[in-house]
Amino acid sequence: MTSFEGHYFDGLVPENAQAQLAFSGDIATLTAGSIRQQFDVGRLRVSPRISASERFIFIPDGGQFLCADHAFFDRLPQESWSEGIVAWLEERWWAAVACIAVVVCMLVVGHYYGLPAAADRIVDVIPIETEQALGKQITQWMEKEGWVTASQLDPDTLDPIAEGFERLIEDLPGRNAYQLRFHASSIFGANAFALPGGTIIVTDDMVNLSESTEEMLAVLAHEIGHVEERHAMKGLLQQSVVAVVITAITSDASTLSAAVTGLPMVLAQMKYSRKFETAADDFAFELLKRKGYSPAAFATLMERLAGQQEIPSVMKYLSSHPLSEQRARRAQDAAGE
Amino acid sequence: MDQGKKPITGPLTVDTGSSEGTAATAFDQPFHNPQNIDTASDPAAGRGPMELALFFNGRSRDYFRIWIVNLCLSLVTLGIFSAWAKVRKKRYMYSHTTLGGTPFQYLARPEPILKGRTIAIAGFGLYYISSHFIAFLFPFVMVAGMVAAPWVLSRSAGFNARYSAFRNMTFHFDGTYWEAFKALYAWGIVPAFVVGMVLSSRGHMATLGVASVVFSFHFPWFLRRIKAYIVEHTVYGGKKGEFAATGGQFFGVYFTSGLIVAAIAVPMTIIATLFYRSDNNAESFALIVSLPVYAGYVIAYAFVKARSGNISWNNIRLGSLEFKSTLRTGDLIKLYISNAIGIIFSLGLLIPWAVIRTIRYRAEQMRVMHTGSLTQFRGSEKRSVAAAGAEAIDIFDLDIAL
Repeated sequence: MTSFEGHYFDGLVPENAQAQLAFSGDIATLTAGSIRQQFDVGRLRVSPRISASERFIFIPDGGQFLCADHAFFDRLPQESWSEGIVAWLEERWWAAVACIAVVVCMLVVGHYYGLPAAADRIVDVIPIETEQALGKQITQWMEKEGWVTASQLDPDTLDPIAEGFERLIEDLPGRNAYQLRFHASSIFGANAFALPGGTIIVTDDMVNLSESTEEMLAVLAHEIGHVEERHAMKGLLQQSVVAVVITAITSDASTLSAAVTGLPMVLAQMKYSRKFETAADDFAFELLKRKGYSPAAFATLMERLAGQQEIPSVMKYLSSHPLSEQRARRAQDAAGE
Repeated sequence: MDQGKKPITGPLTVDTGSSEGTAATAFDQPFHNPQNIDTASDPAAGRGPMELALFFNGRSRDYFRIWIVNLCLSLVTLGIFSAWAKVRKKRYMYSHTTLGGTPFQYLARPEPILKGRTIAIAGFGLYYISSHFIAFLFPFVMVAGMVAAPWVLSRSAGFNARYSAFRNMTFHFDGTYWEAFKALYAWGIVPAFVVGMVLSSRGHMATLGVASVVFSFHFPWFLRRIKAYIVEHTVYGGKKGEFAATGGQFFGVYFTSGLIVAAIAVPMTIIATLFYRSDNNAESFALIVSLPVYAGYVIAYAFVKARSGNISWNNIRLGSLEFKSTLRTGDLIKLYISNAIGIIFSLGLLIPWAVIRTIRYRAEQMRVMHTGSLTQFRGSEKRSVAAAGAEAIDIFDLDIAL
């Protein structure tokens, strides 16, 4: 006979009654004060083991017996078999170490290969119209907010750029989706960017900064690269997945400090957008050469941009764009090939 | 054979009442004390308030293994296991929290939680897609969300109550959809805020601004209504919770926290505008200015957590049970900062440690008092909590921490 000292709760009042549960063959005997009951062992249910805490044993009459954990209880009918397996793993340090290894592998492989590959696949399925709807919303919003206004530059400056742009996209399969727009903007400064769905916006300051049409076309080729490879959509997908994974990992700590959860998210997204910039550069160099322009124009523009701003070393790691000098060097290399 | 193999060392209770140290109900006795089982004849019954000892005895090293195993399985199963993970983690926290020497019990099964999470993800996906891509759907989704919100609130409160048990008696929740609806939307300010959001997505930014300001000032009362809804409909042993905190008390807390942020943000903005020259490096300048503002935010956050936590708990009664919460802003600031540093430098591996020490602090600063006998709590019918756990069919799982 095996017996355990513990406490009995009848479910009628939250009272703490000293009790004993004894096992003899298939019969369990509960003794608590004046109560003495016998049950078939098969009708008991034991709560899942968690760490070394006490176990609750449900008794068929609706009562409950609570006592210190013992290996004997694992041989009784369990409330949840699936949790028993997990509990077994949770008790072992080797399992914890193995789990750290698996988590690290999954995060590293997922971050470098899995997620970009998955984004490529998913983007192929999403119709371009969805992306254009998003781009249209952004344009309308920017106009409404007065972030962009009508271009102040005269057509003599803009027309050659527009013509060159047409040449760049003329044999691309998705050429109909493209729309080139010139805008004056105090918010964006010297800038050119592609919106989801193929709208490319160039600010007047950007046009003024470039010293030749060829330089301007180099920038546009880069933006075409973003559109062709659907970076906006991929970025959105990747950011969403990163956010979900980080939230899942840090969900326990989220109430403790928002800064803790925000930082890895920002870093992961920086990494992705840098990769996109490099990919768009490569696309641009290829396209420019095919159309008879030299990527060297890209290099000169980058150098001029680099000369304009001094970047402290901390910011180099945080910048979402590859460094201008690096990009200029890669453009020179591409031009030399 | 195995008799008395592991003597249970139940935590001793502290007698705060005026009565002599021997006075205690059976409820307060450590497990191995066989005396005073009969509360009805206990001399302490009916005298001054007694303390029911509340302890959290979770350990970081144990919780670490539970955390990492469940995290790993959740990632490998692409999130499906997360329902089991939630149950395991909750079970750990409950069974390591003892009141009067007896641990709490978490009874939820993972399957309904998985179902609830699937619905929640679908709902969020719909919101995400409509807010990003299909603009014309957005107002409909917002309206659907507003209709569903009271249901989510009442169901999740019910879920948490029903699957929490103490001494073989589960909690209950009897709040209805309509009561939740009133708690959420009384005065119509939340609906107005949502309308403002919808309009702002169409370019009317000013609407959102006005709605936000009104909502901010209304927020403390909104918070009080939600807390009151949850507390006043939570039932244990036939006794309903009572909530005596006022919206004005919460307003005081939020208003002061706003002043804390303003006291730091306003001078920093003035400094920023005075000293900023465009040839300075904008990014590093922004970093230097935003650090003190962020520190102010942390202080204000800890202040709100400490004060509103104390106000909430100190105004709750459950039958003869009363609560005394003594969280301090300074302690929480130290806790948050050390947690953040630990988590960052351990690349996340110290998350379980941070969780355990936060809950331990919470438990240390909480005292539970009661007058009279605990036999005043009566289980409505004699039925096993196991049976209650098994009847879970239509559950929406969502945690709204009080």
